[in-house]
Amino acid sequence: MSSPVKAPVWPVLAGVILCSGMLGAIVAVEDQRLIVAMLLGFAAIWFAARRWGAVAALERSAEQHPGAVGGAILVAALAGIALLHEDNFGFLMISTVLLFASCCIGLTIQLGYAGVSNFGAAGFVGAGAYTAAVLNWLPWMPDLLALIGGGVAAVLVGSLLLLPVLRTRGHYAALTTLAFGIMFGVFLDATPIVGGPQGLKLSGVNLFGWDFSNDIRLGSFLISFYANYVLLSLAIFGVAIFVASRLDRSWVGIWLDTVRLDETACAVFGVNIGFWKILAFTAGNFLAGLAGATYAKMLGFIAPNNFTLSDSLMLVSVVILGGIGNRWGALPATAILVLLPEKLQFIQEYRLLIFAVLVVIILMASPAGLVPRRTRRLDPHLIIGNVGWLTRLVPHARSVPSPQRGEG
Amino acid sequence: MDIVAQHLLNGLMQGTMYGLVAMGFTLFFGVMDVIKFSHGDVLTFGAFAALVAALLAQSGGMGVWVQILAMFAAAVVATALIGTEIARFFVLPLRHSPTLNILLLTMMLGTVIRECLRLFYPNGGNPQRFPALLPAGGINFGRAFVRYDGLILLAVGLALIALVHWVITRTRFGLAVRAVAEDEETARMMGMNFRRVVRLTFALGSATAGVAGVMYGLYYSEINYGMGVLLAIIGFSAAIVGGLGNLWGAIIGGYLFAGLQTLAVALAPAATEYKTFFAFLVVIVVITWRPTGLLAEARSERV
Amino acid sequence: MGFWRRGITAMAAGLLVGILPQVSSAKDIVKIAWIGPLTGALSQHGIGGRNSAELAVKLKNANPATKYNYELVALDDECKPNVGVQVATRAGSDRSIIAAIPHYCSATAIATVEVYNRFKLPMVVWAAVLPEITYGKKLPEIHRVSGTLIGQNRVGAKFMADLGYKRFVSFADTTDYGKSMDKYFTQFTLENGGQVIGKFGVPPDQQDLSAELTQVKELNPEVIFFGGLTPLGTRLRTQMVKFGMDQLMEGQSGIIGEAFINAVGAQLAEGVITFFDSPRIERTEAGQEFMKKYAEAGYKEPYEAYGPFSFAATNLVMDTIEKAGPDRAKVTEGLAHVKDYASTVGPITFDDHGQNITPLTTKFVVQDGKWTVWEDSEYASGNRKLGRQK
Repeated sequence: MSSPVKAPVWPVLAGVILCSGMLGAIVAVEDQRLIVAMLLGFAAIWFAARRWGAVAALERSAEQHPGAVGGAILVAALAGIALLHEDNFGFLMISTVLLFASCCIGLTIQLGYAGVSNFGAAGFVGAGAYTAAVLNWLPWMPDLLALIGGGVAAVLVGSLLLLPVLRTRGHYAALTTLAFGIMFGVFLDATPIVGGPQGLKLSGVNLFGWDFSNDIRLGSFLISFYANYVLLSLAIFGVAIFVASRLDRSWVGIWLDTVRLDETACAVFGVNIGFWKILAFTAGNFLAGLAGATYAKMLGFIAPNNFTLSDSLMLVSVVILGGIGNRWGALPATAILVLLPEKLQFIQEYRLLIFAVLVVIILMASPAGLVPRRTRRLDPHLIIGNVGWLTRLVPHARSVPSPQRGEG
Repeated sequence: MDIVAQHLLNGLMQGTMYGLVAMGFTLFFGVMDVIKFSHGDVLTFGAFAALVAALLAQSGGMGVWVQILAMFAAAVVATALIGTEIARFFVLPLRHSPTLNILLLTMMLGTVIRECLRLFYPNGGNPQRFPALLPAGGINFGRAFVRYDGLILLAVGLALIALVHWVITRTRFGLAVRAVAEDEETARMMGMNFRRVVRLTFALGSATAGVAGVMYGLYYSEINYGMGVLLAIIGFSAAIVGGLGNLWGAIIGGYLFAGLQTLAVALAPAATEYKTFFAFLVVIVVITWRPTGLLAEARSERV
Repeated sequence: MGFWRRGITAMAAGLLVGILPQVSSAKDIVKIAWIGPLTGALSQHGIGGRNSAELAVKLKNANPATKYNYELVALDDECKPNVGVQVATRAGSDRSIIAAIPHYCSATAIATVEVYNRFKLPMVVWAAVLPEITYGKKLPEIHRVSGTLIGQNRVGAKFMADLGYKRFVSFADTTDYGKSMDKYFTQFTLENGGQVIGKFGVPPDQQDLSAELTQVKELNPEVIFFGGLTPLGTRLRTQMVKFGMDQLMEGQSGIIGEAFINAVGAQLAEGVITFFDSPRIERTEAGQEFMKKYAEAGYKEPYEAYGPFSFAATNLVMDTIEKAGPDRAKVTEGLAHVKDYASTVGPITFDDHGQNITPLTTKFVVQDGKWTVWEDSEYASGNRKLGRQK
């Protein structure tokens, strides 16, 4: 099981430098002609890299050198902050991309690993955001607790859906979550205590006296206050990637795979289907809620029409476009789905049309997503703790509903 | 009791419309296991095609019945065409990738159709007046008011449901559809042209949406470029609640949905804002109770 | 996949060809941002406003006497608060942008006011009507040429009481716009001795209103007040008439514009009443000039109800820059002293909250397929009767 050949570390470094360079360039450049040329260039680089195996080499290398990945990304982020230092808008977009990507990694755990559809993700993001907003009313509440509270609230709201999610599969499960997402939006709109359609105001993050709303001054060097949020979002993104990779590469990932691919076989081998589904669903919702709370704090204002069905579908689109089941795919896919509409502002009313056409083209040219799922490199020594006892909390393997046609 | 009758009538009309949309979803799912999310926008496209046809016929000085005929013909042809082409160029090439990819793809295609209508139809961003060609007015039964055009359209809708059911259960083409739905590989081994069956099914499903679009226009006298979005969500939900791949399930799902929405307004007029909340809550309860839809998918008959 | 490869190549080639070099000029270029919905259900209003702002810039640049050459940066806020914050931040962090003319939707404007304040970017709201935008918090950067929705409801309620109407049903959409409309409508109607016997809130994208209308019919009011925008207003009017209801429909600024009559049809729209915080622009010289120039410019889309406001706000911003120079702080200072500024929508005077306090409320009624000023209509002279008029 252990790797026969040690992969070199340089693809990680090269990849991080190249990707962050591309992201920074897209964010920083405003000239229309340059943007179009750059996007075409990056698309070419991306497809060439995939065609000649560079993406796969990068992934292999990243798997074996997780420390190098983290370090390189942190260094790249700091360098990016220093370079862009006063670009408020650029930082806002980078944080937005990182937060959405974190949320989509949560969706990947649900949909890509355990096969639990979630078409109401914006509802869980919204639960986190509104919790942060409501906790904002309590002046003594530390912001760290408010952010984590957002994640917990999403989990609690999600637990109301456990029974329907466990009993249904495929499109039927998709409907239950979709229905929840719509209900959540209607509820917010109609309920004046949580602001109704006018939404709620929030104050910025303040962690232990570190006020995120102030610009950072290093001598005469001024850095936009949004850089604080870039660092925070990066930390959340790191947590999301860490959790997802631990789940995926340990035995847990194998169990989740069996749950997704063949529930009947799973039940025969005594795997507790219900437990693993709940675990994946909960972990994903927590990430969505956490990202939502941070996003709300960053924007300073939230309203129900930020959390509509089309936002849920956007989040699912990220997972599909990135490549279902590949956690790293979330980043380029979010970059496309979040940044592209913003960068297409110069075509004004035509931008939604062009955006949709571009997504169609990407899907047709790359049906398995930008970064297709690969066979995992299992690390049997990777122990995330003995979770066996936890499975006893959930009633033993549930009855399998009437057989349906399996996937594929 | 008059008000109950009135609500019942309203719900019946709405339910027929939802059922027609849901039927399309269930047909596509039957043959290809895909959810085609552009379905609502195809409906809108059909309604706009009908509007153009009616305006042309009107300026040509044709009679009312010719105009109505032109409308339905234009809608059916336009939607059937766009349905087959979506199947040919987008769905069939992707059929070996995960079903969710097709969902996203068709959602984006729907956006393209919608945005094209908004941007390229003259003044397309605003609601459009749909010619009122059916007899106006109605009769009062006590305090319940029955619209003549509503009655006619209700009959058209029910006839269409019966027609689709007949096509699927009684014709050779329907047999082919059911065979493909049942077991694609065996069907192909028996020499069936799989791609052709899929394309024709998409044409049939989309044409029902086209007729539903015209009915919508005639009933509400108004169409707009975004009207398909909500109809698609409700149609999709109705198809699933009823049991995907089951025609009767789709129709029952449609009536259930309309019934729930009407019931919510009738019982709690002070809380109409919560009516969608209520409808989807019941959907979740129903789907928890019957995890594969009200009419559970039976292996022997998928369409 | 060959088809797709060819498609992508063609697309790429098209994009490259579409990028043309920009025209240069001798004067300094000053950028101003315009923000509104260019996609989504309300895009028609946004595009009309954008065209009007663009027209103002074009006319100004054609004038050789100006000091600067203006460039309009139009941004789409989709009427969503989060996108609004994004584009406001974008405009705010771009130091070359001197001022902004933002927002059609109130929900978006209320979310972004503090962003403009943070980046010290002076702005003049062109259409959003929620009172809290200017009166919520006193911020020096925030101004607005459009009226708040308080004025039109005060005038409206008084007018309806004078006509002798007593029993009202309120039918509003569930957005903040509809809810505020409902709030002020109810407040002023009660003050004028009317009764609100029922309230219905529906989401703005709901198509079938028959369930709600059945309930309204049971309540049997004299007037149905509508608080919402054109798309839903169209459905309400069409469906209530088809349902055999002869009540008077009382609208507000959200349905004013040709779009409503075009969609409902002259026959069904007949006798709908509306109040709008604007002088009759076809009566003023500036207004006629605007209408003429807009027609000459050959825009595909109509300017809609708030186009003249967008035109006026853009001109106000450019004239302030001409006087104060292209500097945000100086423009903010200049906007603080706007008094009796002549515009397409009448004289503009900002109070200490930056709110234009001079908009006049005009009463309109649909007569033979046209929004007709009440005083000129056959309804006022008694030749025709409104629904349920005594």
